[in-house]
Amino acid sequence: MTEQSLNRLQLWMKTVVTERGSLGEKLESAAQQHGLLIEEVIAEKRGLSAHKRLSIYTSGYVARLLDCMRADFPVLRRFVGESVFDAFAKAYIVTEPPHSPSLFDLGAGFPKFLEETKPKNSEAEAEIIALLDLPPEIAGLERARTEVMRARGTENDPTAVTSLSPFEIFSEDLKVQATPCLRLLELKFSLVDFFQETDQNLPLQPERRHSFVAIGRSDYRVHVKEIELWQFAFLKACECPVSVYFAARLAAEQSGKELSFVLAQLVVWLPVAIQLGFLRQISSRHDTFSPA
Amino acid sequence: MQNLRLQRLGLPNLGLGVGLRNQHFSYLMRNDPQVDWFEIISENFMDNFGFARHVLERMAAIRPIVMHGVSLSIGSTDPLDWTYLKSLKTLADFVQPKWISDHLCWTGLANVNTHDLLPVPLTEESLLHVVDRVRQIQDFLQRPLILENPSTYLEFKKSTITEWDFLSELVKETGCGLLLDVNNVYVSSHNHGFDAEHYIRSLPHSSIVQIHLAGPTDCGQYLVDTHDQPVPTAVWHLYKLAQELTGGVATLLEWDANIPDFPELVVELKKAEAALQGLIPDAPLRHSSAAQIVSNPVDFQLVSRT
Repeated sequence: MTEQSLNRLQLWMKTVVTERGSLGEKLESAAQQHGLLIEEVIAEKRGLSAHKRLSIYTSGYVARLLDCMRADFPVLRRFVGESVFDAFAKAYIVTEPPHSPSLFDLGAGFPKFLEETKPKNSEAEAEIIALLDLPPEIAGLERARTEVMRARGTENDPTAVTSLSPFEIFSEDLKVQATPCLRLLELKFSLVDFFQETDQNLPLQPERRHSFVAIGRSDYRVHVKEIELWQFAFLKACECPVSVYFAARLAAEQSGKELSFVLAQLVVWLPVAIQLGFLRQISSRHDTFSPA
Repeated sequence: MQNLRLQRLGLPNLGLGVGLRNQHFSYLMRNDPQVDWFEIISENFMDNFGFARHVLERMAAIRPIVMHGVSLSIGSTDPLDWTYLKSLKTLADFVQPKWISDHLCWTGLANVNTHDLLPVPLTEESLLHVVDRVRQIQDFLQRPLILENPSTYLEFKKSTITEWDFLSELVKETGCGLLLDVNNVYVSSHNHGFDAEHYIRSLPHSSIVQIHLAGPTDCGQYLVDTHDQPVPTAVWHLYKLAQELTGGVATLLEWDANIPDFPELVVELKKAEAALQGLIPDAPLRHSSAAQIVSNPVDFQLVSRT
């Protein structure tokens, strides 16, 4: 009989719980890998078989993680339907078992998994192929929204200034920085309206259109907004503390807009971006952000 | 009375508490909590700086908090996860909990976390292994670790020690405390055929610092720890026995799936006071023939959209 050290028993059980396949297939794999048979490992008592006892753990593993995935991606679930979503999610769970102690991290790789595993059948109609881009994009936006909910915001940041008079942006001392919770996405579809409609149980087909999205948080409320290319470029330029003028110049260059146009737009939009938790204003005395 | 309140490793009897769950955040921010203390799932609040952290800060200002983890994996043969432990300590520095608890279990191996509370083979080898890890963790946290007995559905043929003896030895060797989940004792006693009262009587009562109450599900041949039901009569009896033997320790009602509104939860919690006076609630065990009953539900860990 194979020696049953603590480590070998745990390796055996981990294989049975997390590998793909039926319980019989899992047990066969575990026997090959670790040299242990279920009848050697698990006691039978009270008329309850070792197989049944073990199956409480094996079925619970997938069901528990599936519950998490369903909760983290409600829009994608509604869009593709419950059974298709469950198939996607189960494949993800089995292919990429969780490593983190936190269930929050479980869905982090799901958008990438959907992107990498989408069918690449070039014989399908172009419209169908284009639609295959949607699940990863929806999942990516949902994941970003979840991350923003938990990330550091500016709620307890005493240095963040949340109101800005319009013409302050022309001050040379004015610097801004993206908040730690800001997420920026570049998408092939227009998903912001689609998400709002889906949240209200009125699903519609998203329009295939290149779009830019900013997600931020203020007063613990998450804001998901479609933005223009110059705004996207401006926010990207604000990753580190930067003067508004410098970021505006970069935004103008990258969007093909005139600098004067960007500066004029910023008079109205910069206070809004700060209020939505995309940006924080920092004075020249606070060049680095050190959240509490 | 004062002596009683300061027993159990010098830790206080906090009274009656419930878990701090996303589903109740809105209610709790607008109403008096009505309970003596809160238990948080540590992993839910680690690296979480959103509304949940805000609610936690508010509750910690007005009620004692206990941190209860599900991913310490004390029984695993993987090395201790020091990144996790540092996050745990950072959270403890923020929360200032009355104590920190987790489970006698392992949750994963080879860098995979199953997010389940898997049973430890109860052997001398396991005991030495867990003793060593508890000591390291207590040195790091600079406080006693409180460990809970899990619900289990299988026993290893290799096991040579009863769970109550394993826990007793662990306490003796490390000075750790115990979180006695009387529902888990009930579930495991049914599944493995031991005497639940004997289990509770055999523990070192002076090291029990907290009790968990919950409602399981009867799946026919076995019980599952579902945390989604009122506490059944049999579990209330065990609770009364445990409180008599310990002299009174902090009590927490776990309700982690099909979570009721907060006032309803408080009504269930307050039954503990009646139970201690001998008025044991008459609550049947719920039966289910559903194919998919999940132990250790995670509803309470899911992201709140509110």
